[in-house]
Amino acid sequence: MSLQTWVSRTRAPEPVSVKRETAVVEPADLLDADYRDDPDASPVLCCTGDPAGAAAFGALWLKRIATDGRYAAAVSVRGQGSTPAAAGGTGAFVHDVVQAAIGLPRRTVLIGHGHGAAWCAEAAARYPAAALVMVAPKKLPKRIPKPVGSPPVMLAVSEADSQSKRVQAVTEAYGIAPLTFPGSGDEVFKGPNAEGLLDAVLSWLNRG
Amino acid sequence: MQEYSSQAAYDRGEAVCVIGAGASGLIAVKNLRENGFEVDCYERDTVLGGLWNPENQHCPLYPNTHLVTSRALTEIPDFPMPDHWPDYPSAALMLEYLKSYAAHFGLGEHIWYGSEISHVEPVEGSRFEVVVKPAAGSAARRLRYGAVIVATGHHWVPNLPSYPGQDRFRGTVLHSSQLKDGSRLRGKKVLVVGGGNSGVDIACEAAVGAARCVHSTHRGYWYLPKYLGGEPSDYALARLNRRRPRWLRRFLTDRLLKGPRRLADRMGMDRPEHGHTDEEPIRNGRYLEHVGDGSIERRPEITRFDGLEVGFADGTEMRPDVVVLATGYRPKITCVPAGLLGADGDPDHPKLLARMFSPRVETLAVAGLVEPGAGVLPMVHWQTHAISHWLTIRRGDPERAANFRQQVVSESAQYELESNGTSPRHALAVDAEEYLASLGRIIDTLEQEPAS
Ligand SMILES: Cc1cc2nc3c(=O)[nH]c(=O)nc-3n(C[C@H](O)[C@H](O)[C@H](O)COP(=O)(O)OP(=O)(O)OC[C@H]3O[C@@H](n4cnc5c(N)ncnc54)[C@H](O)[C@@H]3O)c2cc1C
Repeated sequence: MSLQTWVSRTRAPEPVSVKRETAVVEPADLLDADYRDDPDASPVLCCTGDPAGAAAFGALWLKRIATDGRYAAAVSVRGQGSTPAAAGGTGAFVHDVVQAAIGLPRRTVLIGHGHGAAWCAEAAARYPAAALVMVAPKKLPKRIPKPVGSPPVMLAVSEADSQSKRVQAVTEAYGIAPLTFPGSGDEVFKGPNAEGLLDAVLSWLNRG
Repeated sequence: MQEYSSQAAYDRGEAVCVIGAGASGLIAVKNLRENGFEVDCYERDTVLGGLWNPENQHCPLYPNTHLVTSRALTEIPDFPMPDHWPDYPSAALMLEYLKSYAAHFGLGEHIWYGSEISHVEPVEGSRFEVVVKPAAGSAARRLRYGAVIVATGHHWVPNLPSYPGQDRFRGTVLHSSQLKDGSRLRGKKVLVVGGGNSGVDIACEAAVGAARCVHSTHRGYWYLPKYLGGEPSDYALARLNRRRPRWLRRFLTDRLLKGPRRLADRMGMDRPEHGHTDEEPIRNGRYLEHVGDGSIERRPEITRFDGLEVGFADGTEMRPDVVVLATGYRPKITCVPAGLLGADGDPDHPKLLARMFSPRVETLAVAGLVEPGAGVLPMVHWQTHAISHWLTIRRGDPERAANFRQQVVSESAQYELESNGTSPRHALAVDAEEYLASLGRIIDTLEQEPAS
């Protein structure tokens, strides 16, 4: 975020505040461990474009992330899950992601899926995420927003999408190579493909 | 962190020393860390948050301090406040915010508490030796750093006027920083001196709690309510700065300010001699209403104290039980030789390049020594962003660094304070919009791809 972008944003009305639904699983809920034990294990905040919102991550993602020793959270942006709908469009979804991030105990990893990946990419340009993970992104802005605080970035796309022009443009903008996973980009919440993908994301986060 | 041993200067290599763990120090540490610097931050008190922390021994907060700048224009750009907070958070929320910022970015582990820096001295060209004042019974510690950022704030040395006969006055005289809670005013005849935000806020406290409240000011200010046209007033005015052309902007701004202006006239306020962006306006919607209902009585400047009495320039007098001097602070930086801050003749008036860089040593900077009449924290964020980038470039590309230096010098020329009707106490005032634009140009230069 440049100074000029910040100035423009503060000269426009702030999106109305909504009571956001967040789902949280802490390591202590599952194990004899606490996320505070390891100061290097950043919390993780997940967000999807799926209307289910935070609930989509509950069954598999949050539990497995917490088992990994991390504070695991997911947010429903306005209109998703039990977060009330409110005006504002994309800018407001991004606002919701940033607001959820600042509520976490430490600098957090942002994991976005589908449209959620685009909101997380924008959020990472406003808030210095510990890392940015985009899973099967949809509607990433044409001009890829430059993240603040130079976080490591990961892009995971389905094998079918990996050769697309769009994916190439994104990997080029971030200077990274995409990770590919089998199956459809919409089926990332359950099943063996989802587990494989999640394990790949976690081992990337833990790569030391 | 473990204790350093005492005797010889401990060499911290290229690490950066940040002095003070108030808002400015915390933001500096966060931005330096983000740019890969090792940082040691020294705080003389035992707590972080600086003036927002009532546990800080010299905390200058007065009863019921709330922000005078609105939340969205006060929060740190990359770490917003929770959006369900009120438009004008209290001092307690402000502290909660700074604590969560520090926890979120793991800043605590870089802070040394109970460590007052007594002296900073350039050594080996652009490096510094920093002296940590000894705690009782131990020797002073000396450390060497590649750079120093001073973030000691400017609300620690009360500015105390003196009036004829004041030493023989038999009532209580307090500086606003000594007031702490409102109980000292309850049921008393109170005289509040000083027309700035503190004086006006305290007069409003006294208006409801004290037996009588007299408010003495010696010049005109801009009195704005906290809301204008249904929006927080700083936001409403800042938004108009985007409007073009200039005449339209002026028309819209005048229209917005007309109501408060007429009310101030009606209440008999002096007209300010400066524009509303030249110094911090008074932002308190209750004040003029208290003047209007007589619970605050306005007086001009004090001319004398006399036993139990205080006389004013209009010939009136009163017998106050308590006199509260809300007369501000002097921006003293005592740990750095005045010359390094361009303040040779006058230690209260540092002359920094672009209000942050030492004119003498390239690796010395000050964060937060501005009064922008808008949120201070965002300014400090962009200042320390620029300082961190500057230190990075200076290390890697001295030639680019030299060019940059020239730009900063020319940018600084814009901030040579003209006599624009503001008082000397407001020498730190900057026009927020202009200063941000200038910081923006500085940052753009720093972030340009190096010419290869
Ligand atoms: C009553 C009041 C109301 C205000 N309201 C607003 C507002 O509404 N909006 C706004 O934006 N700003 C407001 N401000 C301005 C305020 O200055 C900034 O918001 C901000 O808190 C400044 O932070 P700082 O870190 O620069 O200074 P400080 O908070 O003063 O912190 C400086 C720190 O340095 C430490 N220190 C000093 N000397 C040394 C030394 N030699 N060695 C080691 N440590 C040292 C001090 O103990 C302190 O912790 C207000 C100020 C006051 C006094």
